Amino acid sequence: MMMDTIYCVAKKEIMDNVRNKWIIILTIIFAILTLVTSYYGSLYSTGWQDLGGTINGMMSLVQFLVPIIALILGYAAIIGEVERGSMNALLSQPITRLEILLGKFFGLGSILAFTIFIGFGVAGIVIAVNVPDVNFINYLIFVGSTIIIGLVFLSISLFFSTVFKKRTTAIGGAIFLWFLFNMILPMIFVGILLTQIDIQAIAAGAEATIPSWFHVVDLINPISVYQTFNTLSIGADIQPTFRTSSLALNRIFSYHLRIKNIQCKHCEVSLTSPK
Amino acid sequence: MATKVIMCPKCKNKVTVQVDPGEKTYITCPKCNTKGAFTFPLAKPAAKTTYGPFAIEVEGLTKSFNGFKAVDNVSFKVSKGEIFGFLGPNGAGKTTTIKSILDLIHANSGEIKIKGLDIRNNGKEAKKYVGYLPERVAFYDNLTALQNLYFYAEMKNASKEECKSLIKEFGLGDSMNKKAGKFSKGMLQRLGMARAVLGNPSILILDEPSGGLDPRGVVLIRDKILEMKNKGSAVFISSHILSEIQAVCDRVGIINHGVIVAKDTVFHLRKKLNLKPKLTIELEDMTDKVVKSVKKVEGVDDVQVINKIINVVCESKIRAKVIIAIASAGGNIINLHTTEPSLEEVFMKFTEA
Repeated sequence: MMMDTIYCVAKKEIMDNVRNKWIIILTIIFAILTLVTSYYGSLYSTGWQDLGGTINGMMSLVQFLVPIIALILGYAAIIGEVERGSMNALLSQPITRLEILLGKFFGLGSILAFTIFIGFGVAGIVIAVNVPDVNFINYLIFVGSTIIIGLVFLSISLFFSTVFKKRTTAIGGAIFLWFLFNMILPMIFVGILLTQIDIQAIAAGAEATIPSWFHVVDLINPISVYQTFNTLSIGADIQPTFRTSSLALNRIFSYHLRIKNIQCKHCEVSLTSPK
Repeated sequence: MATKVIMCPKCKNKVTVQVDPGEKTYITCPKCNTKGAFTFPLAKPAAKTTYGPFAIEVEGLTKSFNGFKAVDNVSFKVSKGEIFGFLGPNGAGKTTTIKSILDLIHANSGEIKIKGLDIRNNGKEAKKYVGYLPERVAFYDNLTALQNLYFYAEMKNASKEECKSLIKEFGLGDSMNKKAGKFSKGMLQRLGMARAVLGNPSILILDEPSGGLDPRGVVLIRDKILEMKNKGSAVFISSHILSEIQAVCDRVGIINHGVIVAKDTVFHLRKKLNLKPKLTIELEDMTDKVVKSVKKVEGVDDVQVINKIINVVCESKIRAKVIIAIASAGGNIINLHTTEPSLEEVFMKFTEA
């Protein structure tokens, strides 16, 4: 395996995609939205939050937008070239199939990382100006984990692009995946969890006990991994009273809220998070 | 049948026998009545079939798609400095063969070697020596023609200067900074040819090189092919445009329904099919007497009469007799010329349903 051929494909992929108008549009939308969410912090506040609240709010935006950008970047990477006919010429070059795949992954991954840096960079500057005592290490962890979740979705879309025989099936698969991880799976898990916990008791002030298998099963969703990671690594640091069990509740009720638009005491408590 | 003189092992008498090469022949010595049998070996292939170091070797290539055998047990070799034409009707398996040679699709069975390197195990190394023009030429639409070539040049270790000079050579000097997406079919074909010859490959594989080209482009590409041949490259051209093949190829292979039906020089293929040249004679006045006397000439295969023109199919040595026959029958010849049997006729014969 040669680094120079991988680099060569990656470079071409960047040159070819920086002019992709969809990516440009999404980058701009992303930058504007991160800016707005960094100001509002979460659904229940107007004005500047501490970093934990800000990240909490930005996360719910990022988990929708970053996978979309990654899927758009990746779904056509292989099948697009096959359909357009340029794959034959590429494969006739002294390059292996694995090198092509890796070159595409690194090239598209760089574009994705760049997009995320732009969006978060703008927001980071605004946060730094307006919020006192910002822990920038935490912010960088957040940005880094966002890039990783983007790369996860990029890998999946590259996989679709490789296995499907048509561009349209690949984009269909990508869209389905986005719905699956952002909507369908969370809905199923909320349903499962509601059968396991006693809502009335929690409302009356009891500690919620969530079965431990639930945490494990929930982690099949990469977006859950991303959320849990950020809440644990960043949220735990700044919200010492807000520990693992309530973390799950926080997430569950925030799904609940997003999906069914139900407001309850707990949602408010968890989403605005204690200062 | 061949005539052979052998010596009787017992009495040393020389016996002349008629033998069929490869068949067992029984003989009896007329002098001492010793009986014996021997097999006269098959004639060794003539020198023309022993080529130098092979650039492309394909042995027993078979590729099926959903049970349909697109290419069935195809074998051929192309040597250095040779132009090999690969002919066949649409859907005969030409492109499938080419894609298998380059391992763009994986063959079901068979061995393919590029400069002695196995394409499956050593593909990356082997492809360094190959320039390829696909049937459907495509580039990256968002990049300019020059940027596209730079990309391929980087992988083939060719210089940027070479890219520029090739683009100019193929008449695209004015559009080198235009996006490839704005190129016409013919321009893409020229750019594709530039890509194929980038880095002076020692093997050139061209799939329908003149598709979408104007006559000037066709000549440009033909000249480039000959130039590459003279530099010692092996060239493999697939086409169904026969004049293109006939103009440049040293040898041709004809494929039909996935099977190679003929493989030889154009000259030998013609000979094999016993195709004879055609003599076209224009007369001042056409009479039945003339036609009859031409038909009477021994060795004339076919006679066609169109107005005052008579077409006679015969061996070249019969031509004089034909002309004498016409003259003695009172025909006044105005003009005459001969046409060698074209590759087209060879092709039609071999690909008959």
